[in-house]
Amino acid sequence: MESAHEHVTWQNWFEAHGPKLLLCARQWTRSLADAEDVVQEAFVRYWRHQRQLPGDPQALLVTSIRRAAVDLARRESRRAVREEKSGGGLEDGGIIFETRPGDDAERRREIEAALRRLPAEQREVLVLKIWNELTFEQIAEALGIPLNTAASRYRYALAALRKELKPVCHG
Amino acid sequence: MDESFHDLEAELNALRPQRPSPLLRDRVGSELDGAAATGSPRYTSATNLGSWKWLGWRSASVAAAIALVAVISWMNFQANSVPDSVVPPARLTRNDPVKPVTTGPSVDHDRYQPVAATNVLYDLKDEGRVYVDGDLPARRLRYRYLDTYTWKNPRTNASLKWSVPRDEIRVLPASLN
Repeated sequence: MESAHEHVTWQNWFEAHGPKLLLCARQWTRSLADAEDVVQEAFVRYWRHQRQLPGDPQALLVTSIRRAAVDLARRESRRAVREEKSGGGLEDGGIIFETRPGDDAERRREIEAALRRLPAEQREVLVLKIWNELTFEQIAEALGIPLNTAASRYRYALAALRKELKPVCHG
Repeated sequence: MDESFHDLEAELNALRPQRPSPLLRDRVGSELDGAAATGSPRYTSATNLGSWKWLGWRSASVAAAIALVAVISWMNFQANSVPDSVVPPARLTRNDPVKPVTTGPSVDHDRYQPVAATNVLYDLKDEGRVYVDGDLPARRLRYRYLDTYTWKNPRTNASLKWSVPRDEIRVLPASLN
């Protein structure tokens, strides 16, 4: 992952990494609007104060987003009885992945549905590994779990997806 | 990683997550460009002056401070009153020389004494441009600390710890040219 110093403007950086961060935030929040709030808070803090810090900016931002999501959930829980499993942002039925010309829309929907059915703790590891490109070590640190647990949750998630999804027929 | 997952991983990798809405981009832009009024998240932190919750924090802090002072005063009072109740007055006779009442070292040690004070800066927020005296441009920075004070009683080894959140606002002159 490239450093934030290589980009002149925040716009370039946000354009490249905003989608991954939003996907990451959506699994820890109730709605897309909450996820966008959390991304805004974490990204602005990062760009203003943490950009010069050493290390992988994506890992730093993922940790920051998770904290912001937890803070938001705590604030929300004071207002309403909540603690329905986080993941509402992904489970609200909205589109998770972009539609691109020529792609198989039905297959994409199948994958989205299968992702929604995954246990939250497996899905978060999968999202961080595949779309946020973090290492198991970074995932373990961000989620506060042992490295082996992160790796095994990833394997369980892939196994569950493979079981749910029909194999793609090429040709 | 299991080789058999390679195809599935490649297929997942090919999917691109949905982009943030243009509105989010605008909000981030307006915050980073200093126009925080329109760009702030829909919620506010508990210590923002714009939020009613700050009242709760400050009330709790004041209540904690009063309780602490009351506890320390009561303990000091208890410590000072111990010698009177321990010395039996029946042992005094007319021939005993009258000695002045002194406070022994043991009483001094039976008091809570401040032993540590720390403050941790846990958030720093640039709240954007403000004008001082109407026309002098400046930036307002909000520093958020957690102050912790510790008292210890050397005789009993008991300790009291008091933590309170504190916001510090600094207004720095800025040149906008």
